[in-house]
Amino acid sequence: VSRQPDFATSPRPRRGPAWDAAAVAVAALLLLAAAGGAWRARAEAGVAHARLDEARRGVEAASARLRSLDVRAQARGARLLPAADALPARVVADVASVLPGDVRLERLSIDYARGGAVEMQVVARNAAAWDRLLERLERAPVFREVEPGPEARDGEVRSLVRARWVGGGQ
Amino acid sequence: VALLGTRFYVAFDALAVSAATVAEGFGGRRAGGFVRVPLEPGALAPSPSGTSLARAEEVRAAVRRAAAALGGSRATLLLPDGVGRVALLDQPEGAVPRDYVRFRLAASLPWPVSEAVVEALPAGRGRVVGAAVRRAVVAEFEQAAVAAGLEIEQVHLAPLVALEGLMRSRPREAVHAVLGDVALCLAAFRDGALVGLRSRRRDRSPGEAERLREEARRASAAADSGAFVVSGSGALRLRRDLGGRAAGNGLDGPAEWPEAAEAAWLGGLVA
Repeated sequence: VSRQPDFATSPRPRRGPAWDAAAVAVAALLLLAAAGGAWRARAEAGVAHARLDEARRGVEAASARLRSLDVRAQARGARLLPAADALPARVVADVASVLPGDVRLERLSIDYARGGAVEMQVVARNAAAWDRLLERLERAPVFREVEPGPEARDGEVRSLVRARWVGGGQ
Repeated sequence: VALLGTRFYVAFDALAVSAATVAEGFGGRRAGGFVRVPLEPGALAPSPSGTSLARAEEVRAAVRRAAAALGGSRATLLLPDGVGRVALLDQPEGAVPRDYVRFRLAASLPWPVSEAVVEALPAGRGRVVGAAVRRAVVAEFEQAAVAAGLEIEQVHLAPLVALEGLMRSRPREAVHAVLGDVALCLAAFRDGALVGLRSRRRDRSPGEAERLREEARRASAAADSGAFVVSGSGALRLRRDLGGRAAGNGLDGPAEWPEAAEAAWLGGLVA
């Protein structure tokens, strides 16, 4: 580039060299390309965010489900029966359904901590009624592990029967 | 490749108006065209203080022809040797070159310094080539170019353009005579640096070559052992007169255009 001094009486701004204009044009093109790329990246980021939110919601739902299952599994493992699954009314109704007419239920206790262990204090009018009770209990799908207690046979049979109520879901 | 653009130069001098297109790139400059339009004697007489364009219409017509031949419209004007005052100055450290040149040349100008356009060309080793041209003289050439339909880009001094080319070529021991039609510059170089500069009117009468050689000898003690190089207007004739005592072709213009051989300003541009 010339260092020649300019003696013009009204010096004019020097004309920009051709490569200046070319550089400006290239820079403008690069800027446009970068802006386009940034816009596309922003749109893609929005889609990715939406997918991430969806996935996060899925994860949260799955986590909740997992926690619920975990509680159940722990309950099963520890023979815990969630009270929500074994409402006393249902247990009583199931006991009532297997109770023969000549057997009287005097006391019923439900132990959720032991996996829905049911303890029934019953009085059967006679031994046959007692046997029918045991038979019905053993056949009923909602009861397992039926254990008859010691019998006191004095005309009536007074005993304690233990079983585990499993309800409809085993 | 003209990465930095192509410039159109119009050079005025007493014998002709010359013009050239010069492409500028990172590797240097290259002439793309040259034309010389002769002027009738007396149409243009470079003067530092008076009117230079004695017959302005003839000069304008020559400018129009040159521009038409090369298709130029925006032009950088080159004013001839003889219209300004030129001097090599040692520049004090910290001084603003243009202000210092104005200060140094003010007393030697034949017109008030307030009427001068003063500029400086760096010459290396703490020196500058200072130049002053009367504003009215510059305006006279600018008006001629504008009247010929040109838009003016810049205005340079032809001897400074030639000197810049010489400085780029870094001559060792040499005295260069750069000739205009009516004035000349003697530039002495030592170890690649400009160490002396004289400018004066030419005496084109017989014996000019010998007188120039004597002046070159006085201009620089190195001239005896170093080279004496002649460029510019009438250089071909002077070299013939000097025989083997003139070295090299100096700032001859590109050989593609025979008439450009004596255009030292163009030689300086493409050097």
